[in-house]
Parts: sequence; structure tokens; C-alpha cells
Amino acid sequence: MQRRKLADKTATVVLTMFAAIIVIILTALLGYVLSLGIQQVNWDFLTSKSSSFRAGGGIQDQLFNSFYILLWTMIFTIPLGLAGGIYMAEYAKDNRITAFIRICIETLASLPSIVLGMFGLLIFVNATGMGYSILAGALTLTIFNLPIMIRTCENALRAVPLELKEGGLALGYTHWRTITRVLLPSAFPSILTGIILSCGLVFGEAAALLYSAGMTTPKLDFGNLNPFASDSPLNIMRPAETLSVHIWKVNSEGIIPDLRDVADGGAAVLVTVILIFNISARVFGSWLHKKLTAK
Amino acid sequence: MQAVLERELVEQQWTKEQQEVDLCLDVTDLSIFYGPKQAVKNVSMPIKRHSITALIGPSGCGKSTFLRSINRMNDGIKGFKAEGNILYDDVNLLDANIDPVALRKEIGMVFQRPNPFPNSILKNLTLPLKEHGLKSKAKREEYAETYLKQVGLWDEVKDRLHESALSLSGGQQQRLCIARTLAIQPSVLLLDEPASALDPIATAKIEELLLKLKEKYTIVLVTHNLQQAARVADDTAFFYQGEIVEFTDTKTFFQSPKEKRSEDYISGRFG
Repeated sequence: MQRRKLADKTATVVLTMFAAIIVIILTALLGYVLSLGIQQVNWDFLTSKSSSFRAGGGIQDQLFNSFYILLWTMIFTIPLGLAGGIYMAEYAKDNRITAFIRICIETLASLPSIVLGMFGLLIFVNATGMGYSILAGALTLTIFNLPIMIRTCENALRAVPLELKEGGLALGYTHWRTITRVLLPSAFPSILTGIILSCGLVFGEAAALLYSAGMTTPKLDFGNLNPFASDSPLNIMRPAETLSVHIWKVNSEGIIPDLRDVADGGAAVLVTVILIFNISARVFGSWLHKKLTAK
Repeated sequence: MQAVLERELVEQQWTKEQQEVDLCLDVTDLSIFYGPKQAVKNVSMPIKRHSITALIGPSGCGKSTFLRSINRMNDGIKGFKAEGNILYDDVNLLDANIDPVALRKEIGMVFQRPNPFPNSILKNLTLPLKEHGLKSKAKREEYAETYLKQVGLWDEVKDRLHESALSLSGGQQQRLCIARTLAIQPSVLLLDEPASALDPIATAKIEELLLKLKEKYTIVLVTHNLQQAARVADDTAFFYQGEIVEFTDTKTFFQSPKEKRSEDYISGRFG
């Protein structure tokens, strides 16, 4: 009896310790990045163009590029991921073909992103001839993000209680209507949480973009909203250096005198945005869940 | 010898009676398989119109499987196969040409765990109606009121129709689910242990409701609760290991069962 109690107590202490270690690592990391970077960040830093060799450059274009590529990635990923998730959860039969598809998805999910970047370079940039561009970057990131999205949607659909699904079927809904009217609405909070979380992942990705969206940005005129103009920020056929690529580039081959400051500031902004994504995923998800289940 | 003759006589009378009564569902020689395992063995059961037929028996005896094959809810299960006939208006429901989606509008089902959709109370009724092509919103809401009244839920929820259905108590949720099923106007109701997750008061309300509903609907009720079967059912079928041990009117079943196994089960000696 004594020994069992002791074992129980030890387990509690040890597990709490591990949890504490994780929290310490995270706060130390965040604290380090933010404390170094936060003093560099001001409105001017966020809204001025980067400079190639003088000090005092900002990250305006890079920040915009990051969000813009994220937007296009999600435009591609969400429908594909939903379709894939619905197929895997509702239509795929339990057979070898499905097992093979699953292996493909898992392999794709564990591919190093730099390999995906190279794939993007060969296929989207070179083979299709579109060159370094937002489109090539977004397509590469779509491949990067798709396995996660498919799995998120599949798991969310599978987590809907069977009774609900049968409830729909028993009311004379077709399979498709049961999916759209019963399963998807019930799974929506989890799907949305998954989407926002993967936004954070995509936003911070650098390696997959180095050779697909490129490492440069043309001179942008934010007043020009014609998406076909070469100096328009909305043009998806232009190269676009994102924030994380910019940090990497400034750090590794920058020649500006204040490269440390720019990199630190950029990192702080990057981490903050990702934090916002993660926190809002939680808040939004639980808010939706509450709204659907209780008052 | 005498006993055997008497029994035959009783059985003959029984079959004669059967032919005269108005049958809603006539199940003959139904066998159900899950892969190599046979869950229901050669079951025949005439189900009378506007009556309550209770299916009882220990867990795993095949009663739920039997119930779920009437509205073809087992279709999606891997390895499922059904043989025999379930005649409904002279149509075999097991026929490959039967569209389960259309069938389920005709034969509604209520489940063990209340399963309202995570929408408002009102929408739980109006959405299925919309699905079945009732275009007018006013009409849908009128129907919703009618059926909420029918299950005795209207007074409890009329001021909170736009609140989530999941904020209701278990018993209220179950009555909501019954109302939702009734709203699409089936003629048969299949209930799979509808009160087993509910407290005694909520259970009593459901039973009261079932007795009222049998005026208009044919009800098949799976239950673990023998008292419940005795209280509400007109006929009772005792399932054991996939077979029907005894199927007769409820009074006879509980007061003078013919089979030893029925008697043992009723008196709690097994199951």
C-alpha cells in the first residue's frame, strides 16, 4: 500500500517536472527572442522598406509578402485539405489503396521542407516556367501544409460522435447531406483550430520558400492594386521574400551594418505573429465549441 | 402427448389470429450476418399496425441488429449481409432496389443516446424538414411547434427555441429527437433503448408518450428494461443468441411464458 502511494506521488512529481521543463524552455526561448527584438520594433520598422546596404531598413514588404503568401496557400490548402479529409474519413474503404494513400500522406508530412523547396524549384519555378513567384511559393507551401490539413480534417470528422451521424442518416439525409449538414458543422471548431494553427506553421516557414518564392522583392508600389502590374503588391507572379526568409538572408549574407538589429526585430515580429495565431486558435476554437454546445 | 396437442392448438389459433390482424411489417426468415458471424438466425415476426412491439433479451442477442436492419442502418457496416424478407406494404425492404434514404423517411429511428444536432432547439426540427423539401419557413416553424407539442416539450422550450439543443436535459433531448423524427412524418418508429440513458422520471414521460403515439404510429421498441416492456408493449419478442425464443402478446409473455428460457429470463435467472 505504502509503495503504491509512493509510486503514485513520484509519478506526479516527475511528470510535473517534465511539464515544467517544457514551459521553461518555451518561455526562455520566447523571452530571449522578444527581449532582443522588441526594442527594434516600432511603427517605422514595420512600415518602411528594407535596405540592402544602409542601416535603418524596415520589414514592410517582407511582412506583407508573408501574409500574402499565407493567404494564397490557404486558398489552395483549405479546399484540398477538406476534400482529402472528407474522403479519408467518409469514403475511403478500409483496403490496401487507402493504406497506400495514408502512407503517402504520412511520408509527405515528414518530408524536410527544404526538399519540398527543391521540388517547388524544379516543378513550379522551372518546369512551368513561372519563375520565382508568390504562386510558386504558395503552391510549394500547399504541398507542405496539405498532409497536416488532411489529417486535421479527417480527425475532426472522425471525432464527431457516431450517434450524430446516424441521427442524420436515420432522418433520411443522404450521405453527402449528412456530411455537409451534420458532420462538418459539428467538426467545424476543430477544423478551424487546425487551420489557424497551420497558418502559424506556414507563416514561419522559410526553407520551402527559398527557391520557390525567391529571396528578393521587386520595388512595390502599395498604391497600385492592379494584380497584373509588375510593381503591384498583389501580383502573384512576382518574386517575394517573406519575413522568415528575410531573417535568414540578413543573418547569413546581409551586408547592412545593423543586420543584427534587423534580424532580431524581424524574429520578434515573426514570433509574435505566430503566437497570435496559436492563441487565437485556442480562444476561437473554445469559443465556437461553447457556442455550439451550451448557451 | 396431450400437452403437445394443446400446444399445437394454441399455435394454430395464434396463426389464425395473425392473419386477421392488420400487419404493418411482416418479417419472415430473416438472417443477418456480420462476416462469418450470424447475428440473427431465421427470425420471423409479424408486427401489428398501431401497436408497440418490444424486443427484449440479453446484450448481444441480436435485437438491436434486427431493429437496425428494418431501416437499413446496418448497410454501411463491413461484412453485413441480410437474407429473408421484411415486408412493408408488400415490398421487401431488403430488396436491393429500395433506396435507404427514402425508406428512412417512412421508418424513423430514435437512438439510445439522445443525439440532437449542435444547433438551436428550433433548428433541430426545421432543418430536417427543409432537407425534405418543405420550402416555407413559416410552415416549418408551424410543424416544429406541432411536433414539440406532440411530445410534450413545447411548454418547456417555447421561450428558448433559439438556444442550443444541447442545453436541454437528457430526457428533454430525447423527446426533442422523437419530435424531430415525427416531424418528417414516418409511419413506423424504431426505438433503440430510448430511455436507457435517462432517469426514472424522464423514462416515465417517454413511456407515456409512446402509449400516446401508438395511436398513429407503429412502434418497435428495443429495451433492456423488462418492466418497461411489460408496461408499454402490446407484443413482446424475446431474443436469445440471435433467435426468437418466444414471441407473443405481452400479457401472456410475462404471466405465463411457454418457454422455460423466457421464464428464466423474466425471473432474472440469466441475462
